[in-house]
Amino acid sequence: MSNITVSSLSKIYKVPYRKPGISASIKHFFDRKYKLITAVDDISFKIDEGEIVGFIGANGAGKTTTLKMLCGLVYPTKGIVSVSGFIPKERNAAFLSQITLVMGQKQQLIWDLPPIETLKVNAAVYGISEKEAKKRIDELASMLELNDELFQPVRKLSLGQRMKSELLASLIHRPSVLFLDEPTLGLDVNAQLRVREFLSMYNKRFNATILLTSHYMQDISSLCKRVVVIHKGRIFYDGALTKLTNKLSPYRNVRIEFDKPQTLDDLKEYCEITQIDYAIATIVVPSSKLSFVVSYLLNNYTIKDLQVIETPLENIISELIRNGTN
Amino acid sequence: MIKLIKKYTNFLVLFWSTSLSIELEYRLNLIVDIFTLVGNLFGSLLVLSLFYTNHHTLGGWSWSAALVVLGLFTTLEGFTSSILQPNLSKIVRYVQLGTLDYVLLKPISSQYWLSFRYFSPWGIPSIIVGFLISIYGVISTSNQFNTISIICSIIMIISSLITLYSIWFILATTSIWFVKVWNVNEVLKSILIAGRFPISSYPNIVRTIFTFIIPIAFLTTIPAEALLGRLDVYWFLFSLIISATLLFTSIRFWLYALNFYTSASS
Amino acid sequence: MYISLVKLKRKLVKFTNIFRALLTSQYSLMHEYRAEIALWAISGLLPLIMLGIWTQSSFANFNGSNYNFFVKYFISAFIVRQFTAVWVIISFEEDNLEGRLSPFLLQPISPFWRYFSSHIAEQLTRIPFVFFILIIIFLGIQDSFWIPPFHTILLSPIAIFLAFVIRFLLHWIFAMCCFFNDKASSLERLLLIPYLFLSGLVAPLETYPEILRTAAYFTPFPYLISFPSLLLSGSIVNPLNYFMHQLIWIFILSIFSFCAWRLGVRHYSAMGA
Repeated sequence: MSNITVSSLSKIYKVPYRKPGISASIKHFFDRKYKLITAVDDISFKIDEGEIVGFIGANGAGKTTTLKMLCGLVYPTKGIVSVSGFIPKERNAAFLSQITLVMGQKQQLIWDLPPIETLKVNAAVYGISEKEAKKRIDELASMLELNDELFQPVRKLSLGQRMKSELLASLIHRPSVLFLDEPTLGLDVNAQLRVREFLSMYNKRFNATILLTSHYMQDISSLCKRVVVIHKGRIFYDGALTKLTNKLSPYRNVRIEFDKPQTLDDLKEYCEITQIDYAIATIVVPSSKLSFVVSYLLNNYTIKDLQVIETPLENIISELIRNGTN
Repeated sequence: MIKLIKKYTNFLVLFWSTSLSIELEYRLNLIVDIFTLVGNLFGSLLVLSLFYTNHHTLGGWSWSAALVVLGLFTTLEGFTSSILQPNLSKIVRYVQLGTLDYVLLKPISSQYWLSFRYFSPWGIPSIIVGFLISIYGVISTSNQFNTISIICSIIMIISSLITLYSIWFILATTSIWFVKVWNVNEVLKSILIAGRFPISSYPNIVRTIFTFIIPIAFLTTIPAEALLGRLDVYWFLFSLIISATLLFTSIRFWLYALNFYTSASS
Repeated sequence: MYISLVKLKRKLVKFTNIFRALLTSQYSLMHEYRAEIALWAISGLLPLIMLGIWTQSSFANFNGSNYNFFVKYFISAFIVRQFTAVWVIISFEEDNLEGRLSPFLLQPISPFWRYFSSHIAEQLTRIPFVFFILIIIFLGIQDSFWIPPFHTILLSPIAIFLAFVIRFLLHWIFAMCCFFNDKASSLERLLLIPYLFLSGLVAPLETYPEILRTAAYFTPFPYLISFPSLLLSGSIVNPLNYFMHQLIWIFILSIFSFCAWRLGVRHYSAMGA
């Protein structure tokens, strides 16, 4: 059963615009002119319960607007959204208790107080008893590896600790649908890894649906099997991440280090040899023949080192968008 | 219904206990605020007394009766700095930083959260001192308290608090459209100063404005008349209608404004 | 001697250039905030509210000449109040909390001038709104229009500007407390109290008891509203003495401001913020 259903969803912003100068602003006051900006343009997709989906696209592609429509913060201009059987824009209390939104660049923790104070308030707002709240805080804190940090004023915490506390505050009501808008923004590699591990753990333990946007492709590739690529408000691709990589980069680069110089004449019918430099060779193999070529090499040659170089996801996405716009 | 009221009362206790711990981080404020209160009180009394030198009067109110108005004004100021100011001046920031999103996603009335989330204890001395001045004023007019006048006065004071809250909240709501609107608070505060004096001491046009357009009359003068036991029933009802209408408007207006809320950044 | 004069001149020219650049940029910034500046102009209506009360009170109508005095005085006070508005404590606190202060400190000109120029720019933006409100006042209140004598027209802007400088320095000294305490804005409320009651904003100091008035003139506050308003309304014949007082206060407060700034910055750097 799909948990999130979006069909032909659009959001058109009406933005007033005027020319600079006093007379123009007086004119603007009486006769207001608007420009229509389509942030999201007729998109449809479905997400199943327990699925983690990555939502990718350039800045201003419409990701955040879509996320906000999904949690009911922005009203759709057209189209239907359903999340866990609710219509988000009604902002029903039962619906709000099932979802959460985490925004990497906005914080809800009170700056001057330890995170625990915010947690207490949030627990009460979501109607969680004190005993249960304590249990949940302990559980989530151990998953996030947070201890004393919860009792120090937020302003004294590092960015990573703060983000983990934010996550705790957003998840105390144990939502089954998580909307994450760049949750790892600005974190160092280590902290990013922690957050990722935590999200995948949370997903498994509570069978939560997660929709995630990120500019760090590591987040996407390690968490999401499925991605939705959005560009200028439209969906460009919706499907498995591996298929996307295969579709867009039908060839792989393989770098091989032999024990002695080789000519590799026998391989010429399967692949293209780009470079042979003494004992190191670089070849380009069609994705479909990759496993055959690799096993052939391993069986017939003495190999010191072999590397399959993946095309970075960033390149794939920009490739996709470039092809799509043309 | 009772369950809901109980729930929201519980929130209030929790909210205010956490905000108390924020305020206590800044202990110096206590001293500063007490100085401000005392200075303000003496200044107000001084200015009021200027009008009464050489047996002059102000708008037909005796010195003691005018004290009741001043006392109620001080109480309102305390209410303002304890509840209205700490909460409603933050709405602009919520909108600017986009953290209003988090408030809207909580399964609780957003207007309630925005209005009562924080509490600053520094207004309490004003509230108490203001009440004492009013009571002193009433006693020295040799007016007798009776049960009905006390009940009416309490109702009128609550009604004035609701009126003040609603006006302030309606203005704060406009920050959904005009992100840089904190000046509105300043405008409101400076106009409310007019409530220091009985409304009848103003010229006719101003009096009309302060009754029907910016209902300052209902903030201090009307409750003061109730305390002095000379409020007629029409004004009593009128005050109730005004506060109820404004409260209702503030709720509707907030919901209407939310339709326009599209968040600060994307 | 000669060389140091040349150096001084060069320094002065450089400073003027920076200040002019600051002023222009702040002016265009303020121009963007026209709507709220208009609102802010409305928030200065207090003298007009007081005008309503005083002209209605039996005190003012005791004899006929008082009425005219009160009308002129409070309209003048309104104008003076408009052009002496200072909010440096609030913006300094905000800049400090949001970490914008550190880059300012790295610039080759003291942040003092940044705030100072932004206030001047705001006042320039305010002029049309003030004129607009004045026209309404002159039309709405009977016998309220007057033309001050020529020398007053020349001297009043100077008095108003000096009043602004005094108030700005006063607030600047308190703003320096932001370096020591995160929430200095409560000090602004404290500072408002003597301003409200000793400057002549809510009542002309002439109506105060003799002893209080004399005491008030020993503080800087009467030179903020009372003196410029009396001058503008034509009630002061010989303003020289008052101008001297304004300059003395500017001198004293400048020294204090400078020391407070030094102390603040030293504390700030020691904290390693």
